[in-house]
Amino acid sequence: MSSNPSQTSARAVPWRRAEPTTAHGPRFGIVGSLVFHALVVAAALFSFRNFHTPQETHMVPVDLVTLADTTNVAAQAPPAPPKPEPEKIDIPTPQLEPPPEPQLAEVAPAPDAKMPEFDVAKEKPKPEPKPEPKPEPEKPKLTRKQQQQQDFAALLNKLTAQPKRPANAKAGPRVIQGIGAGTAMTADLADVLQSQIYRCWSPPVGAPDADDLIVDYDLRLNPDGSVASLALLPGSARAASGNSYTRAAAEAASRAVYQCAPYRLPADRYSLWRDVNPLHFDPRQLMQQ
Amino acid sequence: MKKFLVLCAILLLGFSAAGPARAALSVDVTQGNPQPLPIAIPDFLPGTPADAQVGTNIASVVRADLERSGLFKPLDPRGFVEHITNINTVPNFQSWRTITAQGLVTGQVTMQPDGRLRVDFRLWDVYGASQMLGLQYFTQAENWRRVAHMVSDAIYERITGEKGYFDTRIVFVAESGPALKRVKRLAIMDEDGANPIFLTNGSYMVLTPRFNPTAQMIAYMSYIGGKPRVYLFDIETGRQERLGDFPNMTFSPRFSPDGNRVALSLETNGNSDVYIMDLRNRAMQRLTTDPGIDTAPSFSPDGRQIAFESDRGGSQQIYVMNVDGSNQHRISFGGGNNGTPVWSPRGDLLAFTKQHGNNFDIGVMRPDGSGERMITSGYHDEGPTWAPNGRVLMFTREMPGQRGSQIWSVDVTGRNERRVLTPGNASDPAWSPLIQ
Repeated sequence: MSSNPSQTSARAVPWRRAEPTTAHGPRFGIVGSLVFHALVVAAALFSFRNFHTPQETHMVPVDLVTLADTTNVAAQAPPAPPKPEPEKIDIPTPQLEPPPEPQLAEVAPAPDAKMPEFDVAKEKPKPEPKPEPKPEPEKPKLTRKQQQQQDFAALLNKLTAQPKRPANAKAGPRVIQGIGAGTAMTADLADVLQSQIYRCWSPPVGAPDADDLIVDYDLRLNPDGSVASLALLPGSARAASGNSYTRAAAEAASRAVYQCAPYRLPADRYSLWRDVNPLHFDPRQLMQQ
Repeated sequence: MKKFLVLCAILLLGFSAAGPARAALSVDVTQGNPQPLPIAIPDFLPGTPADAQVGTNIASVVRADLERSGLFKPLDPRGFVEHITNINTVPNFQSWRTITAQGLVTGQVTMQPDGRLRVDFRLWDVYGASQMLGLQYFTQAENWRRVAHMVSDAIYERITGEKGYFDTRIVFVAESGPALKRVKRLAIMDEDGANPIFLTNGSYMVLTPRFNPTAQMIAYMSYIGGKPRVYLFDIETGRQERLGDFPNMTFSPRFSPDGNRVALSLETNGNSDVYIMDLRNRAMQRLTTDPGIDTAPSFSPDGRQIAFESDRGGSQQIYVMNVDGSNQHRISFGGGNNGTPVWSPRGDLLAFTKQHGNNFDIGVMRPDGSGERMITSGYHDEGPTWAPNGRVLMFTREMPGQRGSQIWSVDVTGRNERRVLTPGNASDPAWSPLIQ
């Protein structure tokens, strides 16, 4: 930023008309420049303060360390089949138009192959599809699952209970800045939420290129943990490219979000989990297993 | 001056306001729980009372197709809460959510006055409460099974993002009789095992049948007259012809992706090499010349390269060369003997048979030999063939203590291994492209 237009007016920019130096000119320039710089620096410090945030600084207060550890372990354990609780789901039903007319697709009859049938075998009676056991959505089948649910219940009780500092807690050796919203703590919330979503997530892992399956959503939640809205982020992977694998991946992620709702999160911290953005789905690790 | 300060203040306010706006919770989901998709497929509604049976049959075939893929879990119709009475109205999604369905297929079949069968169906996203697909087919009444497979393919493609493979056929060698006097006949059936038909009468042995790209022609090796030669079999006419007139054995044929050429092995004085025959002028071009046994050629889907097996280096290994025979190089270095390479229709992988000790297993690797992994672990699994979508494989399996061989299928991930029903024992399956 040039400080004084009079210095550069005639020489450096000859085609620019020289402005006369007024009595207010220099004073205004210096003061204005100083004020403006100070404001810009202040604004930058204020806005980009997270630039100084060390990478490893997930804020994990002492009384929440156990929670983060537990949820991390659960996330890496072999996942148990999810048991949705559909009766609790309260998804705003969109207004539906009458279904569009089906597309027409005339199918040519199969080639009527004339084959020398020396010994035509009788078609074996196909086994009828085995009747699936009647779904019992609320009844967990696996002991492991029960255990996980109990773990979760315990965790959530802990979360929703009034935060209370354990007797043996002590201050950490250094100050760790929070990430996410302002001064609030969100690392544990991200853990809790992802560990509830991943159980319902079954991405189309047969795709040849795993990068096609990475999608991002903006998820808005209601205070009761149900889904208020779910929107695919436009910059998400190749979502805009019309890639059929990406579309399948986006739909699989969407199904997971709805299926595992409502989410059990601490009500007193609703302001921190009301908006989840980005909700990032990346199955590359899963496909390498 | 005042204006300038005001401007600065506005700027500062703007910056500070941007802070709280970014305060959304960021969540990464990198672990998943691959599970078959629960899908509800009620019997297709009859357009007239006389259509009830075919409506039931079509839904039953669609359920069986999707279940067999391992990617879907068709739910038991007895548990359905809503009774679909009209496929042109929006279903009550909540009632399908309560039975854990994530997909719903509603359909209707109606016999037309001209004798054709009209099949309409819709695929619904239960959680998204929207229609994902709506299609209508007309066909001859006796083709209801094919239409059912087409419905399955459309659902599979819409949900997974990749083409289906249910409207396909399998050609294979049907085996019967005692081990020392085994009768081997060429046979063909639908992908689900329905409509099996023998194409040859068993008076001569047949081996290694392979489809051409239109699934109308089969190349195979036969011992007609006691001489092992490669033959072509026209499925439509039943006509067969010997491919070329050579004094010595020809074997291991496979069509090029455009169907105009056949790669095969020709044996001369105990040495076999890979050749390409142009079917339009029957000209033969020799691709390998070394004194080892070169055989089992398989084209890449772009037709530019050929994978084959050779023992030129002292053990049976997989090699890749350009289609003109140049740049022959070994790609299998994962231990054991490796053979019968088959290029995936998707081009990303080669399936092969690995022999280690007394075991034979099916594996896949990239065309440059990297990323080798075994996807079956049986006693004797060999001869893989790809589904046209490059996602599923079939192969021949023999098990200890069991007489005769069977055909099995497995997902390329190694999951969902299951037996393919054949009339009697069977071997050497070859998967057709999607029927045109």
